[in-house]
Amino acid sequence: MKTGKLERWLLLEQSGELSPRQSQRLKRELVASEESRRLRSELNLMSNSINKPEVELSPWIVARIVARLRGESRSAFNFYKLLKPALALAAGLTVTVSLLNFHGEQTSSAPDAIVAATGVDVWDDPFDKDLCKLENLIASISGDPVDIMEM
Amino acid sequence: MDQEDAQLLAAYLEGDAEALGGLVQKYKRPLFGFILRFSDGREEADEIFQEVWVRAIKNMNRYCHKNLLSWLFRIAHNLMIDRARRRKSVFSLDTSVNEDGMPLSEQLPSARLGPDDETGGRDLGLRIEAAAALLPIEQREVFWLRMHADLSFKEIAKIQKCSINTALARMQYAVSKLRKELACEYHELREAGI
Repeated sequence: MKTGKLERWLLLEQSGELSPRQSQRLKRELVASEESRRLRSELNLMSNSINKPEVELSPWIVARIVARLRGESRSAFNFYKLLKPALALAAGLTVTVSLLNFHGEQTSSAPDAIVAATGVDVWDDPFDKDLCKLENLIASISGDPVDIMEM
Repeated sequence: MDQEDAQLLAAYLEGDAEALGGLVQKYKRPLFGFILRFSDGREEADEIFQEVWVRAIKNMNRYCHKNLLSWLFRIAHNLMIDRARRRKSVFSLDTSVNEDGMPLSEQLPSARLGPDDETGGRDLGLRIEAAAALLPIEQREVFWLRMHADLSFKEIAKIQKCSINTALARMQYAVSKLRKELACEYHELREAGI
C-alpha cells in the first residue's frame, strides 16, 4: 500500500470511519509492513500526547446567554406591542377615508348621471324637499301663501 | 440529537434556565477551547461563545444535525470567519507598519516554543501545540477539531463546507508537517522504547 493511502486509512481508522472491508485490509497491511506500524504508533502517540486542558468559563456566562435570549425575544415582543396601536390607527384611518370616498362618490354620481342622460343640469338640493314641506306647513298654519325665502 | 441534549433543550424552552447551563457545561471544553484557540484573546472568545449559543437556541427549529456539538462548531466557525474577514479589511498581516517595511506577520512573536517552554520541552503535547500553531489555518482547524474535539472527518467536512477527502487531505498535510517538526522527539521516544 502506498504511504499516502496508508496515512489516510490510519486517520480514518482513528476516527472510526473506516469500512469493515478497509479495516481488514489495513490489519493485513499492519501485519506485513513495519513502516505502517511505525506510522500508526507515531499517529497514536501524537493523538495521546495532545493536552486537553479543562477550560474555565466566566461564572456569569450562562446568565448572560439567557439574558441575551430573553432580551432579544422581549425586544421583538415590545416592537410588536408598539406596532399594534399604530397599526390599529392606520387601519381606522384607512376605513374612514374609504367610507368618505365611497359616500362622496355615491352623492356626486347621481346628478352626473341625470346630466348625462337628459343633457340638462338639474338643481337637486337634498334639503329642497324639506324646505318645501316647511313652506307648506307655515302656509297652512298662517293661511297665507308665504315665500319662505322672505322670512 | 443526543437524548440528554434533547431533554435539556426541551427543559430550557419550557423556562428552565439551568437546563441551558447544563448544556453549556457539557460542551464548554471542546467548544470554548476551539473558540479560544482561533479567536483574538479571552474577551473575544467569551463574546463568540455567547453568540454561538444565542444563535443555536434561536435557530433550533432549523437544526437538523445528529450531533449538536458539530452544529455548534459550525456556527462558531462561521462567526470566526466573519470576524476574521472584518479584521482583514482593517489591516492585513502583509501590510508593512514600521519604517523598515517589515510585514506585521514577521514582527509577531513566533509560535515556536520560547526558552521557558524549552526547559519543559520534554512535554510532547506542548511541542505539538507549538508546531501546530504554525500550520495554515484550514489545516490547523482540522487538526484541532479531530484531535481535541474528537470529531469525525464527516463532521469536520460539514463544518468547513468541504468534501471529506479535502478534510482528510488537510489532516494528512498537517500530520505530515508535524511529523517532520517533531522528528527529533519521535526519534528520542523510539530510542527510549516508548
